[in-house]
Formats: sequence, structure tokens, C-alpha cells
Amino acid sequence: MSTTTAPKASRSQEPRRKAAVTDRERTENSLARKLVAPAIVLMLFVTAFPMLRALYLSLFSYSLTAPDDREFVGLSNYWTALSDELFWRDTGNTVMIMLVTVFFELVIGFAFALVMHRLIFARGLVRTSILIPYGVITVVSGFAWQFAFSNSNGFVNGWLPFIGDDFNWFAQYDSSMIAIMASEIWKTTPFMSLLLLAGLAQVSEDMIEAAKVDGATWFQRLYKVILPNMKAAIMVAVLFRALDAYRIFDNIFVMTAGANGTESISFLTYRQVIEQFQLGIGSALSVLLFLSVLVVAFVIVKVFRVNLADARQES
Amino acid sequence: MALTGKNKDRVQRGGMVLGVALVLGWCLLPVVWIISLSFKSQAAVTNGSPGFFPSSGGGAGWDNYRDLLFDDQYAQFRRSILNSIGISLIATILSVAIATLAAYAIARLDFKGKKFVLTTALVIAMFPVVSLVGPLFDMWRTIGLYDTWPGLIIPYMSFTLPLAIWTLSAFFREIPWEMEQAAQVDGATQWQAFRKVIVPLAAPGVFTAAILTFFFAWNDFVFGISLTSTEAARPIPASLSFFVGNDPFNRPASLLAAGAVVATVPIVILVLFFQRKIVAGLTAGAVKG
Amino acid sequence: MRVRPTAGPRQLAVATSLVLAGTLLTACGGGDGKPTLNWYINPDGQDTLNQLAEDCSTDDYDIEIQLLPASATDQRTQLARRLAAGDSSTDLMSLDPVFVPEFASAGWLEPFTGDLADEVLDDDVLEGAAQTVQWDDQVVAAPQWSNTQVLWYRKSLAEAAGLDMNQPVTWGEVIDAAASQDATVGVQANKYEAYVVWINALIQGAGGNILDPDTVEDGRDAKVTIDSDAGKAAAAVIQKLADSGAAQPDFTTSNEGTSLGQMYPDDGPGEFMTNWTFVYQNYAGAVGEAGGPPDEAALDDLGWARYPQTVAGEDSAPPIGGITIGVGAFSDNVDFAQEAAVCITSSEAQTQLAVNEGLMPSRQSVYDSDALKEAYPADLLELWRDSVDTGGPRPKSAYYSQISSAIQSRWHPPTSVDPNTTPKRSAEFLRQILSGEALL
Repeated sequence: MSTTTAPKASRSQEPRRKAAVTDRERTENSLARKLVAPAIVLMLFVTAFPMLRALYLSLFSYSLTAPDDREFVGLSNYWTALSDELFWRDTGNTVMIMLVTVFFELVIGFAFALVMHRLIFARGLVRTSILIPYGVITVVSGFAWQFAFSNSNGFVNGWLPFIGDDFNWFAQYDSSMIAIMASEIWKTTPFMSLLLLAGLAQVSEDMIEAAKVDGATWFQRLYKVILPNMKAAIMVAVLFRALDAYRIFDNIFVMTAGANGTESISFLTYRQVIEQFQLGIGSALSVLLFLSVLVVAFVIVKVFRVNLADARQES
Repeated sequence: MALTGKNKDRVQRGGMVLGVALVLGWCLLPVVWIISLSFKSQAAVTNGSPGFFPSSGGGAGWDNYRDLLFDDQYAQFRRSILNSIGISLIATILSVAIATLAAYAIARLDFKGKKFVLTTALVIAMFPVVSLVGPLFDMWRTIGLYDTWPGLIIPYMSFTLPLAIWTLSAFFREIPWEMEQAAQVDGATQWQAFRKVIVPLAAPGVFTAAILTFFFAWNDFVFGISLTSTEAARPIPASLSFFVGNDPFNRPASLLAAGAVVATVPIVILVLFFQRKIVAGLTAGAVKG
Repeated sequence: MRVRPTAGPRQLAVATSLVLAGTLLTACGGGDGKPTLNWYINPDGQDTLNQLAEDCSTDDYDIEIQLLPASATDQRTQLARRLAAGDSSTDLMSLDPVFVPEFASAGWLEPFTGDLADEVLDDDVLEGAAQTVQWDDQVVAAPQWSNTQVLWYRKSLAEAAGLDMNQPVTWGEVIDAAASQDATVGVQANKYEAYVVWINALIQGAGGNILDPDTVEDGRDAKVTIDSDAGKAAAAVIQKLADSGAAQPDFTTSNEGTSLGQMYPDDGPGEFMTNWTFVYQNYAGAVGEAGGPPDEAALDDLGWARYPQTVAGEDSAPPIGGITIGVGAFSDNVDFAQEAAVCITSSEAQTQLAVNEGLMPSRQSVYDSDALKEAYPADLLELWRDSVDTGGPRPKSAYYSQISSAIQSRWHPPTSVDPNTTPKRSAEFLRQILSGEALL
């Protein structure tokens, strides 16, 4: 990925360094490698190595409860997964969760960011509060919302008009999904709003003032001046959150355990590997999950032309 | 309709108050709810006790907390608090130490492979962790790391390194490196200059990275349920999800809520004390990263 | 070996140890050479099981309790993961009988042999329980207690509906009776193991089976027989309840606990409920408390009858559950563990579990003991023993966990069950799952 660029500090030294002796360059290179090595080794040990192993295992029919029956089956695990309606249903669920939650987080998060940006009082209080959902464990958020929606111990049914007190949110697909997404949106909107706040801070006040003087309405200023100027921040926030939402697992595990067709692709993979001990097909799903994340990342980067370098204001 | 300046101010101020109220309500309502739920009595919960606050006669006082913290039956949960604190702290310290070295190199030195480091970090930050638990479980059971503290510390370190590296390199870029050169002119080696001059300056950034790393480790669920199976290493989120009360068939909602509150307290304390740093770190790491 | 924080802010460490002083102390214990046997228990009857662990500890070893999660599926997952990792500290485990074949065929259970085998499985053990602990002609676990379901109801409710409970009743009659009185029928229909218990009992009550009993032990080659008249009859019962006014509000997420509170509501006629044996103790111990009978008269109004028939005139097949004790094959102390297993499944142990926890014995002699006759009404004891003796087991297959998940995925939510399609679709799916051609 060519979206990362060298930091300023080192770039400014380039001309001087070019002229410097190669000895120094060599020392610097070797020091840098030593400094970076532990991080690289550790990151690859826990990701690349297992991923390669998953790639290998995915070619076998292999169940942990019958290890002696392990058998090479080529690509047939991939065929089984890709031709299964369950795989596509869960992928569909995951994509829907991703789109809906990111949309709401973006809208609500932007509103929150505007409030925080203009805030003249209670700054500390608001910022402290907004960090609490971010810090709350996802599992706790899942429980809080599950109990809130529960018809025996929750308050949502009592507060919402047009909803009977007996209504069971977890009895069917639509309402279960709403509950899951409510928890997801609640927990992650603050994160989104902080990223957007940083973006807002980059929009020059002079430009807004100038637009004001020209007689632009509030909406015109928003669409013509503010949003275009913080596009990079928005896109980075969307990229990060979308990839995070695509991996949704905790909330589903806690709230429905996949009942009523509310499984995500992560949950499906987890069940094959950890609950059913089907390491063969489970590994194939792991590989597919990884590939699909790459596809999502690629699509977002290409379609929205996210430029991480832009976000760093270094372009 | 034109507003006079004074009225406009008033409208703006009113809108501001409304906005603040909405933000606070959004952020705190579910937290207040879970606290309120933790004061409902277990009997009331078993028989159904809808409503935001405990019904009259359905309150439990501090009973749920007392049970959770002192009753033998919940020793497992208490053990998981110890696990979570220990595992998260060790992972944080090690991860930040390693990330500091890497971030220094990225922010300060020019070397071949910098792009590789940054790209690797980026890809790992996007990695779907679920796709790793299968092979990791298989590896851990062979090596003997399954259901141990290191078995969780190692993956936590790997997955917090990208965040820590980004945050730290963003901070490090702001450091006045001339001071290091000055030290070098005075005869210090590059390593001494780094240790004596830069480390103290970098401390706030390191600290921020540490908090964010701790949040990640504290929040993790996938590794926590997949790579443990007893109280030997099970962290809080996994422990909460397997929580069993007196009624083996239903989740003891109010007791669980008390557990959730206990698990949230350390986070709230961190947020209260270090609000400014966390905001700075989040935006530095993600937007500038 | 446990790893301790090697470094860290001192204040935090101090605060931690203050909060957790008690936990730390127990964690530091041991190490004097006397082995500790870990016994993984499910959460039913924790108090008595803790007592048993203490009583059965000897000069040679201590038994320490480790608690498993509440759902049968999670219990299996936790244990299986440890055993797949070849864990030597898994000494004793409380196993749901349905998972015994899977664990035994994976070589995770140390079989009882010789005298020990005769001791854990003598003539005194009830037939239904004895079946569940044998695999490949070996005794692979020791029965500890046997569970079964009966129909619990309010006598006043049955009377008002004009239902004669002295005769065997059918599901159809029970549902109609409840609906006629604005009452409900409590079942277990969440997407979990006990829903399969219900489905299996309904199918067997109509004379059928999920898998052909003659080939079920062949694992992947078992013949799928759920798409039959019996399967359709079972689906018809579920559909009838789902469509009637007698379904409880949380029908699709109901479990053994959710329907307990409906028996003695603040107002209303109560319910019919199929549920396990613990129900009696649950209500008898909660007189005057929230959710329990308001007074003794109300407790006397609690009735019990044999599990309802799926088809009128055909004997019902009450579900069988319970717990068997397995010994981990990788345990460092297999001999001690087997000795301990005998102790925690002894007649005395079973008596304590029955009297204190409502978990019924798997031995005939314990049913006949004075302690039980004192603790339970005679007709209830007889009903239970009868149910265990004539009940229907779930498929005895090494692939049971997949079979169960496959059934759950096609029969849940219960509101979607249709006799014309559900048995057929689940049969196709089961075949695919068993041959590894579909995702679960």
C-alpha cells in the first residue's frame, strides 16, 4: 500500500543526508532494523504464520474430534463454503450491519463533533462522557442493550410508544438486528465523533467566515466549505469504522448467539472452528474472511479515494 | 426571518445546551441503566421486572455487589478481574516498549523497509481476528500456551502494536529532535541521546499509547473466549459471557449488571483522569497515522 | 504454572491485591505434593457438588471444583477444547450424556475396567442411564444423576378446562385446554439444546426417530429418518402451539427458567409446563417468595403427569438427561480420578443430590431409600422413575453436536415450523451435514 509516506522530520534531512558519508547511513539502517525487528517479528508471528497455517489446513477435511480421519481434499472446502447459502446470508448480514451502522455513526457522530467543536462550556464533562462508551467493554454494551430490550426486565418496551410491553425483540430477525446495531452504534459513535472533531479542527475558520460574509446559509457553509475540507478525515473515519464493523462478533455472541439468522461472517467462522472443531472448513472460512476484509478495504479506498497521506496533511 | 443579535445568541446558546444534553444522554443513559439494573434484586429479575429503575420491593441494595465480591460462588469472576488486570497490564507494558523502539525508528531514522513496517501495521490493524483463532488455538495447544497468561498476552501485543506504533510515531514527530543532536555533539552516542534526552520528552505520548493499548486488551473478547477455558487465564469479558448465577437457566441479569459495572470502573477512572490525553492519542493515531 | 506481573505501576498492584486478597490466597495454595483433581461441573446443584468434592477428597488427593458455563453446548465446547489440547489437569468432568459418544470416540475418556466397571455400572443402575455411559462395549463414564421431564400444571387450571389428568393427555389437548382458559404452555424453544430435547421427545412420542436407531452409531453413515410421519406429527404440535394463544410471549427464546414464573403469576390461571425434575424443589422451596406459590394451598395446587403424548393412544417418550462423570484420558492421576468418580456417583452422593438439589438418582436403590420418600411425594417419585425407565434418548452418535445444531438451525424459530416442509428440509440438511457438504 503506497498510502503511507515518510514523516516530515526525516524528509527535511534528506539533502544533508545524501551528502553525508555512507557509514552513517549504514549505522542508521542497522539501528533502525534492530529497533523495528521486535515489533515486526511479533506482529507476523501472530498473524502471518497462523494465516499460512490456515491456508494449509483449509486444504484438508480435518475435525479435531476425529483427528485420525484427516484427509487432503484440495479446494473442496472452499467450494463447499462458497456454494452454501449460509455463507452468503451471513456475508449479507455483515455487509448490511456495516453499511447501516457506519451511516448512523457518521451522521450522529458528525452532529456530536459539531456540538463539541462549538462548545464553550462543560468541555471536559462532554469529552469525558463521550469517551465512556468508547471505553466500555463491547460485551458489557451488548448485555446493557440486551437487557434494555428484554421484555421481562428492560425499559425499551415501556418507553417506546406503539410497542407492546410483551414485544420480544429477540424473537425475529428484524428486531434482533435493530438491537444488535443499537449496541454497536452506541459504543462506536463517540470514536467516530472524535475522529471527525479532529477533522473539523483542520477546517480553517477564515474560510467559513468568508463564506458567511458572502451570505452563505448555514447549510451552504456546511456543504460547500466544511465537508469538502474535512473529506480526508471523514474518509479515514469511515474506512476504520467500516473494517471494524465488518468484523462484528462480540455483540452478536452476547445478544442472540446467532439465533433468527443474525449471524455475521465472523460468528460463522468462530462456530466452525471453535465450537464444531472443524479445522478444515473453518480454516477455509478464515481465509475467505481475511480476503473479504481486503476486498472491503480495497473498495473503500478506491471508491472513496481515501488517501491516508491526505489525512496526515502531508500531500 | 431575521433575528436580532441578542435573540440569535440566545437561540444558539439554547441549541448548544440541547446538543450537550443529547450527547450526555446518549453516552450516559445505557451506563446509568446498567447501574440501575445492578440494583434490582435477583428474585425480581427472575420473575420479570420491567422498567428503568428497580420497582418498589424489587431493589437489592448492595446485595449483588456483596455477592459478587465476597460470595464463594463468584470466586471465578474475581479471579477473572485479576486475570484481566494482569494480562492487560503486561501486554500494555511490553507492547508499548516494543512500539516505542519501532516508532522512534519510523519518526526519526531513514531506512529501507519503513514502508514495509507501516504497511504491515496497517494490514494487521484491519485483520479479522476471528480468522486467526482457529490456527492460533491449534498452535497454542501444541506449544502449551493454551489457557495461560502468555497465551493471551502475545496476541494482545501483536494487535495493539499497530495502534501504539501510529500513536507514538505521530507524537514523536512533534518532538524537538535538535536536542538530541545537541546531546550528540556533546559526545553522547545516538543510543545515549535517545535514552537520556528523548525518552523523557516522549513520555506523554508513550503514556497515551499505553492507555489506548490497555483499552484494547481490556475490551478483547474473541481471544479471551477462544484461547482460554478455565479461570487460569479467562479475562473479564469471557467470564461475563459465561456468567452463571443461582438460576442455571437464565442469565442473572442484575448480578451480571453488577459485574459489568465492576468491569467498567477502571475504564471510567482512566477516562476521568486522562481524558485530554486519550482524545489527543485517538486523533493522532487514527487521523494522522 | 501461573504467570505473575513482572513489572508495573506499584500503586495498581497494591490496589489489585487489596481488592483480590481472598482470591490471591487461594490461588497461591497447594504445591505440597498432594495432587489436586480438577472436577469440571455444570452449574446445577453447585452447593451439594461442592460438598461432595470435599467429602470425597482423601489423604491421597484433593478434589477441586471448576465451574462450567450454563448451556450444554458451551460446556461441551470448554471441555472438548481442553481435551483436544491434551490437557493433563482435566481429571473429572460432569458430562451431559449426549456428548459421551463424541468424547469417547475421540479417545478423551479413560474407560472404567475390571472391578471399577462393575462398581459404576451394576444392576442397580436404571436402564435409561446405563445406556448412556457405554460406548464400543466399554464403560466410559459413571452415571451420577438422571433427569427426565414431566408435565407440570396447576390442578385448578386443568379442572377449569375440563381436562382429566388421570388419563394420559396429548399435546393437542394440553394446548387447547390452556388456550381455553387464557393460560399458557411452557416449553423450551430457544435455539439451544433443550429445544432439540423437545423435538426429539415429540418425534419419539409418535414412534419415530431423528436418526435410524440401528445405524445411529455408525456416525457419518447413519440413516436420517426425521422426514417421516412422526417428524410431521412433531412439527404439527410445535406449529399448533405457535399458532395458538397458549404460546408464551418469549416462546421463541424460552428456556427451562423463563416459564417457571408463569406457574404462579400475580393474576391469571397459571400454566402447563414440560420441564425437568428440579421444578418440584424449586416451587416447594419458594412458598411465599416472589415467583413461588403464595401459600401451601397453592403448592398443593401444583400437579404433575406423564409427558404428553404426541399422538393420542401412543405412549409418550419422556426426555432423558442428567449427568455422567467421565475421567480425562490425559489426566496425570487416572487411578485417583476413577476412585473419586466412584465416590461422587455413590448411592450416598446420589441421595444428597436428590434431596438437596432435586437432581434425581440413576440408581433404583436410591429411589427406594427412606430419604427420598421423605423428601418427595410417592406418586411423583414413581412418575419420575417410570419416565427415566421408559424415556427416549437423543441420537447416540459421535456427531451428536452437529446433529443437534443442524436440527436447531432448521427448526428454529418454532414459529416457522411447518409439518409439510420442516421435517423434509431438516432431513436434507442433516444428510449434508453428516457427509460434510454443508456449513453449520
